[in-house]
Amino acid sequence: MGLGRYVALRVAWAAAVSMIIVTIAFLLISFSPNPEIQDAVRSASLQGENPAEARERIKELRGLDQPLHERYLDFMQNVYTLEWGWSDSRNQPVEEALLESVYYTAQYSIPWTILTVLIGPLVGLYSAANMYSWKDHAATGFAFAGWAMPNFFFAIILLLVFGIWLEWIPITYNTDAAVFSLENARQLFFPVFVLVTGSIAATMRVARNESAEFINADFMKTAKAKGVSPFRAYAYHVMRPTLVPLSTTLVGQLLAVFLGSSLLVEFVFSIPGLGRTTFDALVAQDTNLVLGSVLIFTFIGVVGNLLEDLVFTVLDPRISYDDR
Amino acid sequence: MSDEPLLEVENLRTTFDTDQGELIAVDGIDFSIEQGETVCIVGESGSGKTVATESITRIVPIPPGEVDGSVRFKGQGLQSIDDEALRDIRGDQIAHIFQNPQEAMNHVYTIGWQIVEGLKIHQDVTDEEARAKAVELLDRVGIANASARFNDYPHEFSGGQKQRAMIAMALATDPDLLIADEPTTALDVTVQAQILDLLNELQDEFGMSILLVTHDLGVVAQIADRVIVMYSGKVMERGDVYQIFEEPAHPYTQALMKCLPEFGGNAGGIQGTLPDPTDPPDGCRFAPRCEHAASDCTVGDQPAEIEIEPGHLASCIYYQQGYDSSVVQNDDLGTNANERTEAADD
Repeated sequence: MGLGRYVALRVAWAAAVSMIIVTIAFLLISFSPNPEIQDAVRSASLQGENPAEARERIKELRGLDQPLHERYLDFMQNVYTLEWGWSDSRNQPVEEALLESVYYTAQYSIPWTILTVLIGPLVGLYSAANMYSWKDHAATGFAFAGWAMPNFFFAIILLLVFGIWLEWIPITYNTDAAVFSLENARQLFFPVFVLVTGSIAATMRVARNESAEFINADFMKTAKAKGVSPFRAYAYHVMRPTLVPLSTTLVGQLLAVFLGSSLLVEFVFSIPGLGRTTFDALVAQDTNLVLGSVLIFTFIGVVGNLLEDLVFTVLDPRISYDDR
Repeated sequence: MSDEPLLEVENLRTTFDTDQGELIAVDGIDFSIEQGETVCIVGESGSGKTVATESITRIVPIPPGEVDGSVRFKGQGLQSIDDEALRDIRGDQIAHIFQNPQEAMNHVYTIGWQIVEGLKIHQDVTDEEARAKAVELLDRVGIANASARFNDYPHEFSGGQKQRAMIAMALATDPDLLIADEPTTALDVTVQAQILDLLNELQDEFGMSILLVTHDLGVVAQIADRVIVMYSGKVMERGDVYQIFEEPAHPYTQALMKCLPEFGGNAGGIQGTLPDPTDPPDGCRFAPRCEHAASDCTVGDQPAEIEIEPGHLASCIYYQQGYDSSVVQNDDLGTNANERTEAADD
């Protein structure tokens, strides 16, 4: 018993969850109409050939004449050996297409995550320390505004104001810009800004409410009576216990915004990232690429939740690892 | 050592800004504590005892609170020094323990960490030395297997053990004054006695003074040298423990005594409630609940404290010149309690 066993169980559980999701994705794809077959059938009938024959031929070519369970085993094997098939719309292997997209997504996701993790809790703590003052109200107002405004709409407004009217930022995304260049910073500033405002609200509010509880806790009086300085009291006696409930909100919030809003933001700012690629694949009915995107999002979601669980148990000493 | 007391508090006044107006928690009280002495502040809940002790090192929340008056500790005026200098005294020369050990420790740190934290703030010690000292203290306050329990979290300690650990934390820097705010209230009765015994023992060993706040007269009888009776932010009576228990002079002290089972037990307590601290009554604060209250009791300010015998003072108008002190003084506790019980039955 203990932490090691608990972590092992959690990881096994995450693997099981991802397998279930992959299976569901496979079944959905198997039972939905296949555009490739429809194409083949249509062109065969246009050329006066036998449509049924053409259907059988293409099925055989793609291995779709195999029984479902064999196709499933094949599919699962390919998933875990990272052979995710050929993307027709992009004319390259799916893994490669996704890797290219992740490259652009990471460029705004990493700064956005870091900023949210840093700013959210600190603003929350600051708000709690100045509760009901104008500073608290200003921070809360800012958080709610970011939360209430749909990210894609906010992105469009920013693009309109700063890109078209003021011409401060480029309105098209330059994929050739070096990662650590001023140009890249300029074109990524607003996507990051929009996402931070969207994800910071919940983090900041939870941090505020939790730390408000700890600021007034008896142990803060103990700390004060021990001669602990205010800075140390906030850093050690308020922030540290606040991180326990906050860790779940933080991960949950980042995931929710990542899976939802980042796609729309990518679309508005025309960043050729994961969300944009997924969208294009859907429109082009590129089955393999869609499935690949689903797998990536599944993986991120499952790993995020796994991290959340682990961080939570490590942060809170009162959680027992027994009987789990 | 000079003749000066260890701690001398004069005209201490603590107020809070509330929506209902200015709340006067402590309204100009004086007291002093000698080296090695145990002084108890007693009174009902809400009488300002806790705020009074927390005002000494200003650990009451400021704002909304505001502390006025003079506090001299070892001849040094604490009211005029800045926060940083005050932090050097807190937890070093003046230590606190609190009412509720369940909440008084941070749940995400080990007991050992929390003892070491205070130690390292005030003393230039290495981690190993601090740890050794903490283990020694935990052992001294009666935690079995102290070096293993050093790494336990507060939730792994029982209430009594936590209070012992709090005492260990307070003693880490060998303080001159220990302020104990209702240290036994949240504990069950058998543990209460053990903690009081421990405090008595440690006082002899460390030679510190103790300022203990309680509403429990049983605790007072067990531990106090001198007693200060507080009511509604004012001192009603003070004296040594024998004077207070054998010849309580103030009607409020007498009423408190009557609540004790040993004196015939008036389970009904004292009729009425504490006055509104944002709008205290004129005259004696206790007058609205006092069975002896005359019309003179409800005008002016709280009566000045009159010395009845050396060291025994009461703030009651009947001890002033021109009043008959026998009205309150000869109040036979037993009989009166019986009368009161009968009256309550009607």
